[in-house]
Amino acid sequence: MVDAQKDVPIKSAQVEALVVMKIVKHCSSSFPTTATGSIVGMDTNGVLEITNAFAFPTVEVTNTDSHQSNDASSLAAAAPRAKANIAYQSEMIRHLKEVNVDANNVGWYTSATMGNFINLSFIENQYHYQRENNKTVALVHDVSRSSQGALSLRAFKLSADFMTAYKEAKFTTESLQKSKLTFKDIIVEVPLIVHNSHLLTSFLHQIPALPDNPEIPLPTSLDDIRRDPARAPAHPSFDSLDLSIDPFLEKTCDLLLDSIESHYTDLNNHQYYQRQLTREQFKITQWQTKRKAENAARLAAKQQALPEDEWQRLFKLPQEPSRLEGMLNARQVEQYSKQVDGFTANITAKMFAVRGNLLPE
Amino acid sequence: MAVDQEHFVHLARPLAPNVLGYGASNAPLAVNIQPQAVFSIIDHAVRRDIRDTQSTRVIGALVGVRSEDGSEVEVRSCFAIPHTENEDQVEVDVEYQKNMLALTLKASPRETLLGWYTTSHELNSFSALIQNFFASPETGTFPHPAVHLTISTEAGQPIETKTYISAPVAVNAERAAESCLFIEVPHRLLFTDAERAALGSVTAAAETDSRAAPIVSDIENVAQALETVSDLLERVSGFVGEVLDEERDGNHALGQHLMNALSLAPKVSNVAIEHDFNNHIQDVLMVSYLANTIRTQIDLSQRLATAPIIGGDKEGEKKDGEEGGNKQEGGRGGRGGGRGGRGGRGGRGGNQNREPREPRDGGE
Repeated sequence: MVDAQKDVPIKSAQVEALVVMKIVKHCSSSFPTTATGSIVGMDTNGVLEITNAFAFPTVEVTNTDSHQSNDASSLAAAAPRAKANIAYQSEMIRHLKEVNVDANNVGWYTSATMGNFINLSFIENQYHYQRENNKTVALVHDVSRSSQGALSLRAFKLSADFMTAYKEAKFTTESLQKSKLTFKDIIVEVPLIVHNSHLLTSFLHQIPALPDNPEIPLPTSLDDIRRDPARAPAHPSFDSLDLSIDPFLEKTCDLLLDSIESHYTDLNNHQYYQRQLTREQFKITQWQTKRKAENAARLAAKQQALPEDEWQRLFKLPQEPSRLEGMLNARQVEQYSKQVDGFTANITAKMFAVRGNLLPE
Repeated sequence: MAVDQEHFVHLARPLAPNVLGYGASNAPLAVNIQPQAVFSIIDHAVRRDIRDTQSTRVIGALVGVRSEDGSEVEVRSCFAIPHTENEDQVEVDVEYQKNMLALTLKASPRETLLGWYTTSHELNSFSALIQNFFASPETGTFPHPAVHLTISTEAGQPIETKTYISAPVAVNAERAAESCLFIEVPHRLLFTDAERAALGSVTAAAETDSRAAPIVSDIENVAQALETVSDLLERVSGFVGEVLDEERDGNHALGQHLMNALSLAPKVSNVAIEHDFNNHIQDVLMVSYLANTIRTQIDLSQRLATAPIIGGDKEGEKKDGEEGGNKQEGGRGGRGGGRGGRGGRGGRGGNQNREPREPRDGGE
């Protein structure tokens, strides 16, 4: 039965409200520095239940140069696979086990800004977890997008094809042609569901929402209204009706430009490689023709022929740069453009609403 | 958003005998509780082990930050502590508490131990014992008072929270360790803006029967919000209609409030609105269009980079033909194809350099 369960792939992930709150809290308090942490839970019949989370220790950055925040971010981003943190994680899980918390590590979480999470570090972390246990996910909380009113929390895992490719660390043109791996197959999104316990549901219903009783006592003066303003319900949140979406679009455009920039760097690297390759190959051909002529001459003079495969020692073909960087970049661009599509759909609806309001037919 | 639980006057707090040099203030203490701490306690209560202990409550430590003068504390997180309790004794795993505190503080060095929580409102001599443990100089929060938070988690009853601090009181010296005077202090639940969105999703889940809800996309969220707003507007207009029809008495305050709200509508000429609207929507659509163009370009470039070129299969040859025969320049492999693709598209490829910058200028 255990074996049967093992074969069931994760179809969806279910996060407890506690985990959502903890992740949101940790990510937003350390914003704009990246925050990372570990998640624990268990999987039952293809549903990965994520029941608790804890943060990784922050690394104190001692140098005080201008790149401080970057350093802290990159350190935090590398945290899930750092040696010290693996020890911390197992220690923490051991302690949590004593108080009946699910003591299985099921992945990790990270914060992101406008969806800029697809990079080598992310892949390495997830590979690190998924290598040992296939049923692990990476939760990504987008702090900037959540500030618009709608929670942005997503779960990702690496595809099986990509796992094998990454294991061999081969991302050359040839191997990609063979495996038919494209940038769209790197990561797989897992649908996410938020779940509450009974007790929590009961608690949430006590948090003030719209009054159930329509007959509330009417206020006697304007001050009464000001003193006791109506409390907006937490769901649906009216924050999502905010019209100022331009900063988000602008930020996404900036990020998109960065991606194009790195795309060109990648392209140049490859072009450099190809020039190098052509040059070397040209030299080899030259050498080979020369050697052949020499051998022909030697044969005519009844001498022993020189070996013709010596070029393998004399010339070294340049290493093809990895295609991985470019693939990740392409995936990142895809992510941005989808995000822009989402924004556009939103803002268009809002804009038409505003116009409809200001210009009655 | 803060949720006040109740109002009461709280003038001063009793303290342990003041040690010179510590200068703890005796201003009233206010406790702010962040929702994740409460969520965590509730989770712990649900997971309590009822087999080998007779108690129905669980205990744990509160961790958070204290304001400089110690008059305000913010409970940011908490962790559970295993304990056993029966009629005549209580055992708390002190070692566990120490280790867990060290682990928690490692992840968030700015926070400190604030006190402890339990999941029943009952205050007994065991509570006093634990309270004194948490307030003691060696293992606790001294010179600041330890905060004791109680949450009732009885099934079927409202969940209430109460916070206390304590003062030492005893009939004689021997019993001092297990007695203290609990004084209730005001507290509130504090939701920061960052948590609002999260709370929204969690509340959405609370309103369904299955207690679970998927995370919805932005556009669905907007749709839901718009529906709610239009419901609310309907209610207001229904109220106004009833007043106009003299079905119910009007209310001056409400009327004034509505007038104020209505007067907030900006006075702009129709032409200006139309103009601004068109401009803005063009900008937005432009950004969207260009973003998708970039995506297509990069997609194409990726595809061509790994497209099979060497070998005699027809498809490859056909592609090469289209791409302007770059391949003849000699065994270039994939990238030759990639560049061919770019070159083949002529003006478009060249434009790509400039394209993304335009929308940014327009947007700013």
